[in-house]
Amino acid sequence: MNEAGRKTTNNAIRRKQGTADKNAPPLAGDVTFIRIPIPPASAMNRDRPISSLIQAQLQHIQHAESARLPREKRDGRRPEDIHTEAEAASYIAAVTKVLHPRGRKKSKIRLSGQT
Amino acid sequence: MPPGLDALKHIVVLMMENRSFDHMLGSLKAVNPLIDGLDGTQWNPDTQGNQVFVQPLAEFQSQLDPDPDHHFPAVDLQIFGGDQSATRVANMQGFVKSYYQQQQDLAHSQKIMYYFPQDKLPVLTSLATNFAVFNRWFASIPGPTICNRAFAHYGTSFGQVGMNVFYPQGKSIYERLEDAGHTAKLYYFDQASSTMEVVNLLQHQPQLFGTYDQFLADCKSGTLSDYSFIEPNYTDHDNDDGAQLASDQHPDHNIQAGELYIASVYNAIRENPDLWASTALLVVYDEHGGIFDHVPPPACTPDGHSAGPSDTQLDYTFNFDRLGVRVPAILISPWVPKGTVVGVDRVFEHASIPATVTSHFIGNYTASTQREQSAQTFLDLLSLDTMRTDSVFFNT
Repeated sequence: MNEAGRKTTNNAIRRKQGTADKNAPPLAGDVTFIRIPIPPASAMNRDRPISSLIQAQLQHIQHAESARLPREKRDGRRPEDIHTEAEAASYIAAVTKVLHPRGRKKSKIRLSGQT
Repeated sequence: MPPGLDALKHIVVLMMENRSFDHMLGSLKAVNPLIDGLDGTQWNPDTQGNQVFVQPLAEFQSQLDPDPDHHFPAVDLQIFGGDQSATRVANMQGFVKSYYQQQQDLAHSQKIMYYFPQDKLPVLTSLATNFAVFNRWFASIPGPTICNRAFAHYGTSFGQVGMNVFYPQGKSIYERLEDAGHTAKLYYFDQASSTMEVVNLLQHQPQLFGTYDQFLADCKSGTLSDYSFIEPNYTDHDNDDGAQLASDQHPDHNIQAGELYIASVYNAIRENPDLWASTALLVVYDEHGGIFDHVPPPACTPDGHSAGPSDTQLDYTFNFDRLGVRVPAILISPWVPKGTVVGVDRVFEHASIPATVTSHFIGNYTASTQREQSAQTFLDLLSLDTMRTDSVFFNT
């Protein structure tokens, strides 16, 4: 993906996170509405070096991949060659699709009521 | 049976990553002195012997980089201050020393003592003050993520104190529930984030899993399982919907993204009136992530396992007889009295999760682990005779 395609604006994050559905029925009772801030676009760092947690997750993913798939069907990437969060996510997604094909492709944080 | 327990059909657990109680909720002592947080007098020595006091200067990101060490030897230093003697006492005096070891930067090492002021965490602090906050919920092991999360799934880590692949010798809470005719599901964020329970549950029992999108849909349709365990997004990445910020709050991920995630899980339950009336949501963190907390972890019932020096990387064998560092934990339900503070006399840990879920849905279960058998359960906190009509709701 090129840099332009990877660029995330603050507005883009805001659109994805969204707000509660204004068409939803009103909440019953005495409800206090609390406004929460959206993270800045600069929070995103696909090239962040992976933590020890993600390193461990990669080892577990590879362990499961090796147990589940014949060599010719494996992804081929090695955990020790994966350094960034985006690289890790790509490998984790590839193996998880095999382990759990029913997992949907999309997930985005939504405050309730959004579709 | 209290009416809140009678109405309870769903238990939901959201487990976040790597933040201590004092770091996230310590500021609330100023709001309610019953909350065992910070008053500014707590300190650690730095490597020069200077006193480093806690300060409300925690930032959303870029402050705890590199990721503070929270593997077994580092946590031992944090808890005992470097004392290796046989008569040592947990004093919580080694956090700055531990963080200093990673960069040898005196000023940077002091940031491990920073905590968030209340207004920077509107989601977590409003849930804590509106529902029940636990003064004594500890990680199950003074160590890292994988072994601590295992306690939430199995009631034990089967002797693990680290991040290695392991195979369980007992049934997970999800298998127990299915065997008893109940429903259970683990929701991970998306396939690129996946789960931390790869080798055992995802590999062998993928039917137990769903995604965060499915959780939202299940809440809306009223088809939520009896028990749900939710995992956050562990990485910054793209999926078909575009850029996704990590929401786990693991250093150095953005704290506000985690706040949004917690809010979205809460809102999804709150917005369905039937679900709201029949659900208890526990928000809890897996371990402290190397960040300061002032409460020494207590001794606990031994686990029946031991980890030798090759596992602990220290000169002693750990018999799973001490808990890890204290973490934030909040129980949310309209049947919980507003402003509940669970006292210091009640000690909880992650084995309290399968112990509580098993007790509520199954009842007597003879194969529960030793730690579960001695763990406190928390559903007695749903103690109101009538359901509350007040609540909160989050908007961006």
